[in-house]
Amino acid sequence: MRMDGIKKEKYDGFQQYHPLVNFLYFALVLGFSMVFNHPVAQIISCVCAIMYAVQIEGKKAVMFSLKFCLPMLLLTAFVNPAFNHAGVTILTYFPNGNPLTLESILYGLSAGCLLVTVLVWFISFNRVITSDKFIYLFGRIIPAMSLVLSMTLRFVPKFKYQMSVVVEAQRSIGRDISTGSIIKRIKTATLIMSIMITWALENAIETADSMKSRGYGLKGRSAFSIYHFDDRDRTAMAWIAFCGVYLICGYMVRGFAFRYFPGIRWAAINTMSVSFYFVYAGLCLTPVIMNASEERKWKALYSNM
Amino acid sequence: MKRFISVVLLLTMVLSLFGCGGSFSPVNLQEPITIPEDGVIEEKLLRQLKDENAIGTFCGSTDDYQYEWTIFGSDITEPRDLNLSLNFLVTQNKGMVAFSFNEESDLGFPAVLSIRLNQKWDAPSATVYQQVGDQKTAVCSASVTGSKETILNFSVNQTGGDFLIVPDQQAPSESMQVQTEVTEPTATVQEGTAETTKTDEYLSAVEGGGNRVYSDGTGTGQDQYLTDPIPEGKPMPVESENQEIDSEQSYTCTFSIECSTILNNLSDLNSDKLEMVPSDGVILSTQTVTFYEGESVFDVLKRVCKDNGIHMESSWTPMYNSAYVEGIHNLYEFDCGNLSGWMYRVNGWYPNYGCSRYQLAQGDVVEWRYTCDLGKDVGCEWMG
Repeated sequence: MRMDGIKKEKYDGFQQYHPLVNFLYFALVLGFSMVFNHPVAQIISCVCAIMYAVQIEGKKAVMFSLKFCLPMLLLTAFVNPAFNHAGVTILTYFPNGNPLTLESILYGLSAGCLLVTVLVWFISFNRVITSDKFIYLFGRIIPAMSLVLSMTLRFVPKFKYQMSVVVEAQRSIGRDISTGSIIKRIKTATLIMSIMITWALENAIETADSMKSRGYGLKGRSAFSIYHFDDRDRTAMAWIAFCGVYLICGYMVRGFAFRYFPGIRWAAINTMSVSFYFVYAGLCLTPVIMNASEERKWKALYSNM
Repeated sequence: MKRFISVVLLLTMVLSLFGCGGSFSPVNLQEPITIPEDGVIEEKLLRQLKDENAIGTFCGSTDDYQYEWTIFGSDITEPRDLNLSLNFLVTQNKGMVAFSFNEESDLGFPAVLSIRLNQKWDAPSATVYQQVGDQKTAVCSASVTGSKETILNFSVNQTGGDFLIVPDQQAPSESMQVQTEVTEPTATVQEGTAETTKTDEYLSAVEGGGNRVYSDGTGTGQDQYLTDPIPEGKPMPVESENQEIDSEQSYTCTFSIECSTILNNLSDLNSDKLEMVPSDGVILSTQTVTFYEGESVFDVLKRVCKDNGIHMESSWTPMYNSAYVEGIHNLYEFDCGNLSGWMYRVNGWYPNYGCSRYQLAQGDVVEWRYTCDLGKDVGCEWMG
């Protein structure tokens, strides 16, 4: 639960799976998105990322993020040719004599697409892998690291909340940052910042002490978790692992090979490489299909009642 | 914050898992093949080269010489049995190489032959002569490379008769006509003349292309752009910002771009760049180009590349007040080992300053050469 108000969230069936399944899915999908530079693979990943994000966060939230992403994509596409002049297809020349090549523009587009895809994946990643899942997964292996991580992650919303509390309290005693001369406002804001920093440091020490006194990280200390690895998780895990192994093999046999420099070359398209594309699309769409089929089942049951 | 940390964590995780990925190679380079005793390379092998669009290297050796053929599969028109062994002839003059091919008919496609000598030639280039009966004709020029032992690279088209490779006494130059001592480019040239003529000749080069200032060799220490003293008789660098280009006054110079050293170091070459290497190593064959008063080597390179549609990338280095040529024809620095890159030579000398500080004069011979060994393999002594 968040302190800055409870948001009504859309139902996501994939989120109910075991954290290990969630994590494996995102690790594979993010990894493949970053490694496969074949345009087909990039488009598959990008489309699936947007579909999943829209499904669980709603159109509006995703559109808002895309508004930031699209200029970024265009920026990389334009900035890359300014610094990268390799490539065999010379379109024109820059004033300093370096060529503008088709390959560098396409490479810039590809890099921009990769960036956008990964950012969109992280919209759903943040929703599905909550910090308790993260602690559950990594609390045993790296206790100190995961505590620091979860404290850091927790810190942002907590800081935001505490800030609003402090601002309100200061306003009630006449130190309002929204009125008065600029100098006065700056003075008040500095005061509030100083209060916040003191609070943050104190809070961090308190949390650390508190965790220590509870024996966090000691041997034999167990942590409460509500997760069970059941048959449903096993099936999902097997499917994701199969896709992962199949796609890694596909990568090894260069099924996703695509080269931009010096000239554009790609792996031959045959039944083998098409099968890689299908498996990749299948992997990326796993949660979307899960959610859709669950919804249909729910509706079918509902109408039978 | 959370998003950012997650991105960084996953990125490192994934990168450590996958590494940075392999490179895409459309043509695979085969292991060097040793030429058998009888010298015959079977048709099957050449057909395979042609079908796979691969590059084959065939090595052979005698007591004194090692030689290597580089054959591009894409050049082969009709595969057939080829005898690639060479028959080296004894010459009275140690400063040249004489040989004949054991293959009787012409190859039918261009192939590069590299001959590694057991000595070092002190010559900027060499000329290949073909002798049929008493008739002796210059066939082509061979590039002289190699750091400790000279490697001669040249393209073979015909195989009949005896062949003779003779080191050139100086770079072929348009200013030859004003030289008082024109050396005869034949097999009878004596040894040792190379060094004596090499330095003098350019002192007497034709005037033109501005009032070039020559170094008297007395300079000590570096100049403000970290250039070591210029050897005696060599032109002093000029700063391009002080040069005014006068397009009324035009001159000519000789220009060429070649990368034959790559053919001897194909195993070091970035496999993606294999298709960019011309099969004879020549990107721009020697040609006469026009330049204008006040232009530098870099200005001319830029124009020549643009006119011929050759890709060229450069960057400006303020520290040396000069342009740096990163890559020509998509062959970049470091593409063929850590010590590789482009160098330029004017009238047989590798200037120790950048190419946009070298002001051209009438009749200059400019050669852009790719080195795989910090210049040592293309005859540059002062580097490294």
